[in-house]
Amino acid sequence: MKPKIRELLNESACTHSPAKKAACNAPTPGATTGGCAFEGAQISLFPYADAAHLVHGPLTCLGASWETRATRTSWRGRDLTQMGFTTAITNNDVVFGGEEKLAKAIDYVVARYAPQAVFVYATCVTAMIGDDLDAICRRAEFAHGLPVVPVHAPGFVGSKNLGSRLAGEAVLRHLIGTLEPTETTPFDINLIGEYNVTGDMWQYTPLLEELGIRVLSTLSGDGRVAQIRTAHRARLNVLVCAKSLVSLTRKLEERYGIPSISVSFYGKRDTSFGLLAIAEALGDAALIERTRALVAREEAALEARLAPYREFFRGKKAVLNTGGNKSWSIAAALQDLGLEVVATAVGKSTADDRAKAREYLGPNGVLMTRPGQEQAKIIDETGAHLLLAGGRSLYTALKKGIAFADVNQEKKKSYGGYQGLLNLAEDLKNALETPVFRNAARRAPWEP
Amino acid sequence: MGAVSRKPVKPLQVNPIRLSQPLGATLAFLGVDRCMPLMHGAQGCTSFAKVYFTRHFCEPIAIQTTAVTDITAVLDGGDHNIVAAVRNVTEKVAPALIGLYTTGLTETKGDDIRGVASQVEYPLVWVNTPDFEGGLESGWALAARMLIEQLTAPTQAVDDNKVVLLPHVSLQPIEVEKLKDFIAAYGFEVLALPDLSTSLDGHLGEKQSTLSSGGISVEEIRALADAGLVISVGASMLPCARALQAKNPAIRHHHFPHLLGLAATDALAALLLAATGRERPVADIVRWRQRLQDALLDCHFALGQTRILVAGEPDFLAGACTLLTEAGAKVEIAIATVDSPQLDGLPAGRVLVGDLEDAEDLRDGFDLIVGNGHVEALAHRHHKGVVPRGFPDWETLGNQLKNDVLYEGGAYFLFEVANAAEQMRREPGHP
Repeated sequence: MKPKIRELLNESACTHSPAKKAACNAPTPGATTGGCAFEGAQISLFPYADAAHLVHGPLTCLGASWETRATRTSWRGRDLTQMGFTTAITNNDVVFGGEEKLAKAIDYVVARYAPQAVFVYATCVTAMIGDDLDAICRRAEFAHGLPVVPVHAPGFVGSKNLGSRLAGEAVLRHLIGTLEPTETTPFDINLIGEYNVTGDMWQYTPLLEELGIRVLSTLSGDGRVAQIRTAHRARLNVLVCAKSLVSLTRKLEERYGIPSISVSFYGKRDTSFGLLAIAEALGDAALIERTRALVAREEAALEARLAPYREFFRGKKAVLNTGGNKSWSIAAALQDLGLEVVATAVGKSTADDRAKAREYLGPNGVLMTRPGQEQAKIIDETGAHLLLAGGRSLYTALKKGIAFADVNQEKKKSYGGYQGLLNLAEDLKNALETPVFRNAARRAPWEP
Repeated sequence: MGAVSRKPVKPLQVNPIRLSQPLGATLAFLGVDRCMPLMHGAQGCTSFAKVYFTRHFCEPIAIQTTAVTDITAVLDGGDHNIVAAVRNVTEKVAPALIGLYTTGLTETKGDDIRGVASQVEYPLVWVNTPDFEGGLESGWALAARMLIEQLTAPTQAVDDNKVVLLPHVSLQPIEVEKLKDFIAAYGFEVLALPDLSTSLDGHLGEKQSTLSSGGISVEEIRALADAGLVISVGASMLPCARALQAKNPAIRHHHFPHLLGLAATDALAALLLAATGRERPVADIVRWRQRLQDALLDCHFALGQTRILVAGEPDFLAGACTLLTEAGAKVEIAIATVDSPQLDGLPAGRVLVGDLEDAEDLRDGFDLIVGNGHVEALAHRHHKGVVPRGFPDWETLGNQLKNDVLYEGGAYFLFEVANAAEQMRREPGHP
């Protein structure tokens, strides 16, 4: 039952593929950042708050990572996303095998917390010692009468991205198509890759509901196991800012004939594009008409509330140093606020991301391939007022005497949808107004 | 002192507080100046550690990975990955030291890192820290011991003016500084190993280094063995003190299970007075002792009515439970991350090695909880008072400056706990 890792590594729909012969994720010893496959699987599946997530491994894997993600749920039972379950295997288990312990742990979790399903995650050590997760999960599923899903994404098989794909694979094999929905509508969609971090998804799902579009299931923001099991009856898969799950949507198309589109809900333009794209893909003329009207209404309402911010941001220039699809999705949101984005980092972006970044920034925008070295010079040349980057770049901003916003910091409030743009505007206004960068950079009286 | 339950009765951990040895080793190497901690495992082991400490300290964390993959896990004995990692790290920066340590993955496949280390022509200290054994304390202590064993030069010379402090892992950067200053106030030159007080104390430097910036220097570690006195704090640090004495049997050793509260601080002061022949410490220390005495009296009413659960590393529990008990608080339950000799003497009604599910099951037995950031959700759910202490705390800012040690820190800690108890009693929902 183990998914074929080679096959997933060579995902034909991945935009890295044509350019590189090697797999997207062969990490270099001593020069690698970013999480592992297990973390990717965790990110993709943990938002199912009605399921228990049991990590079969030594304590590090879960001990250092539980309760880290601010993904929100409306599930009324105990929020199992914010709990940590691990077999915490010991020396003894490594020598004699951890299967018995795992089986007992599943029984324990089911008896005490009555989850709707149990996801069981392999880790490097338990993959190495060869514990048979599939057999244990099968037996437990039979004994307890609820889905017990093995997730084969031990950290060492690759990056977070691959782990997400493996998580999608587990859901496809063990959950999707195992239950029929009580009713269907012509406007049923699945939201794939939306994890509802800080409630991002709730910024736009009320709009979908108003349009008569029903979210049949999600993978996995505010998700329910019972719903993802019915996902095969959706009319459309909507991939939200997540390249890692293209394998899943491609297979859902092959197997169930469900088409898919890829959208982003960051910023005004992308939110409007996203809503319209969904309506158009569902292909109903009246729905498209309704969506146009709704988009016009929301944009007008947003414009009115953005006006004072636009006034504030007029003439302000920003340098953006982040990676992946953020290189253009955040750039787009900044432009929506009236900021001029003079440069963005594309060192870690796919060819597709680069093209999009170029499109948003225009011919004069700088696409930085080595932002660490380039950004200071670009700030000087362009007279930028604001640097949006990871924590390490704070010193560049302090030295240049400009405002700084940490884009990698765990965000506390949502920047998604129309409403989220106002949150972003408020945060950036504060960054530009705060005296803290000036004050913290003050010279001490004993310095020359 | 109550019963001690050491053996887990469950087949799993639910809402764990135990942390892994590699995390402890990471922190120890970050207490060495211009060091690059290099974790030998999959990239995720390192990524989790980096994010974990970045969030706890609000600082960028220097760390790299040997990035073991499923393929190298099978084909490589560590030679390829470690050698390549050292080459790639040193191509970009010139660390004074590389701290190489293992994980569960590389211990399971059985890499001989000692052998590989001998092939590396770069200053490097190696340590075995499988994460299916021990915990944060032992990982930190093992790395500290290996720094001594592999770097410190044996000698017979003794500098009576030099003191080596060996702090356990739960002491936050400012606490290490306070201990150093306290000892230095008697005229000693003090070196701490590891020393987070100058690396992860949250200071704005000139620029952001990709290596640890601050901490004890490699040269200082090499020359450590001529100290006249070594002071170890926490049971986990005893083997480190012995390792240092093995380099120079003339070193005197004094051990403190912890340095929280009046009695423990008195013992340290007495030792230093005897060692220097002085009659009184500096005025500052005398004054802080009087303030702690006053704090004990001021807090006893609020604390005496408060049943407390303390959760954390054993060396931390020893100090926190003692200090709270000195002020008349009722420490009903102590939950330790791992087993330790410290648990035997712990002044608590009930002591167990466990997790936060255990804490939740025992919720009728306490009013206030002292523990890491994970206890907050539990405290809110059941309307308990909460005082955050220990790794990790991702919700509170300024963790690096939390000071509970000696006379001064003890006074602040008692006031914080007493205020949290009073505030809890004022909250709606509290019986």
